Amino acid sequence: MQSIATSWIDYILANQDQFLGLLADHIRMVGIGEIIAIVIAVPAGILATRDPRAARIIEGLGATAQTIPALGVVALTFTFLGLGQRPTILAIVIYAVFPILKNTVAGIQQVDDSMVRAGRGMGMTNLQRLRRLELPYALPVIFAGIRTSTVLCIGVAYIGVFVGSGGLGIWVQAGLTSVSYDIMLAGAIPGALTVFAFDQIFKYIEQAVTPEIIADDLEADTNVAA
Amino acid sequence: MIELSNVRKVYGDSTEAVSNVSLEVSQGETATLVGPSGCGKTTLLTMLNRLTELTDGEIIIDGTPISDHDKIELRRNIGYVIQEIGLFNHMTVGDNIGIVPDLRGWDEERKKERIGELLDLIQLPLDTKERYPESLSGGQQQRVGVARALAAEPDIMLMDEPFGALDPITREELQDEFLEIQEGLDVTIVFVSHDINEALKMGDKVAVLNDGELVQYDSPRDLLANPRNAFVEDFVGEDRLLKQLSLIPVREATTSPSELDERTSTVLHPDDTLKSAVQSFYHATEPLSVVENGQVVGSLSERDIRSVVSDSAEEGLPNKYA
Repeated sequence: MQSIATSWIDYILANQDQFLGLLADHIRMVGIGEIIAIVIAVPAGILATRDPRAARIIEGLGATAQTIPALGVVALTFTFLGLGQRPTILAIVIYAVFPILKNTVAGIQQVDDSMVRAGRGMGMTNLQRLRRLELPYALPVIFAGIRTSTVLCIGVAYIGVFVGSGGLGIWVQAGLTSVSYDIMLAGAIPGALTVFAFDQIFKYIEQAVTPEIIADDLEADTNVAA
Repeated sequence: MIELSNVRKVYGDSTEAVSNVSLEVSQGETATLVGPSGCGKTTLLTMLNRLTELTDGEIIIDGTPISDHDKIELRRNIGYVIQEIGLFNHMTVGDNIGIVPDLRGWDEERKKERIGELLDLIQLPLDTKERYPESLSGGQQQRVGVARALAAEPDIMLMDEPFGALDPITREELQDEFLEIQEGLDVTIVFVSHDINEALKMGDKVAVLNDGELVQYDSPRDLLANPRNAFVEDFVGEDRLLKQLSLIPVREATTSPSELDERTSTVLHPDDTLKSAVQSFYHATEPLSVVENGQVVGSLSERDIRSVVSDSAEEGLPNKYA
């Protein structure tokens, strides 16, 4: 008798083309959604640190976005976006925005106030302050936010199956309706592995983006804490 | 040269931080702004580089009102040193110092040369430029802060309690070093301090502020000799006569030729302060010989000192704080 543990692997191997297609769709939806979310959330986050009124509005919207159930979004939006990938991408965008936004704001605000004041006093423009002083410190934090939201959204993409978006959700649903564990796991486990893979990739990017001197600081802090 | 005319700053909630301050700082001079917490000295300072905007009045730098300048250009021409130092921790010392030249588009060669010049000026080895701020001591960091402010060869420098975050020993060292550096530069400096002793030491002229108003603006010696009212008397301290002593060199009070027949074993140098002379009087007896380059040039007695020091704040002076 085949064990559940390996039968999903067999299923994938037996349906390689389909698998790769589903995986590609899944990752493409998450990718597009993430990019759109970044384009919205990072400028919004920067704006929120510059203007206290804007900050309240933006953070309110972001928090609200997080509370809308993804399934609900998808169900509502497919009525005007139609079936296919778009409703799912929209749900992904809505979900991904808040972590990135929050981290952009936090990343910029944790920059030493005296540094920023010194920079302002010596004649840096707003943009120069951002680029030279704030972003080097904020980028690692922003990327941490992107990492979190990507990982979240790989899960959100599964819901796309209900509106014909494709993706690994198709196998999960197929497995559920036909009570076939191998198909279900063949849809679920690669998703989990993708989450893990993306997490690692982003960790690597975060490190690459952290100025050396800050990384040393963080390391020293964690050593002391331990 | 900096001119402040009837400068006033009122905040949104109607707090008047600065009321009707007028004063002038001549080219190359150092003016210290001193007063108790909340007197408006930092507000006044930050109005000079428009970090704080004027509510009323005018500030004119070298003949042009600062409101006519572009804010950013104005700031790039004014050195700015703050108490917290504010070095850019993610950049090397060299990049920190070179920041304003970089903002102004200097070429690499010129920047490199200037960084070398400044490290020399602040007495740090050339290889410091590759180091990061956090590996430096507080005193070294603020030296870099000063170098950074001087990098683009500004005509004016603003210093907001620059040595306030340092321990007393380092603070004194830096004050002395800075006085030396100042001598070689033609920079007009406005220096904020909450410490009257620092203000008297560092300033060519001292502005005493209270509650947003300018109470007195005089040279250190005039301020000590003629405090305008009880507030200034109080602020300057009971020991204002002794403070005067630390500002006056022996040279000014020396009786020449010497009143003494023989050279005393304890001697004074013309550049010593009268304060150290008085201390010597406790160890030896006055009068003492004043010696320069091995030669006796005169003598100093207690009577000599009295004739140079003055105190006009006697009982009869109007006392508006009584």
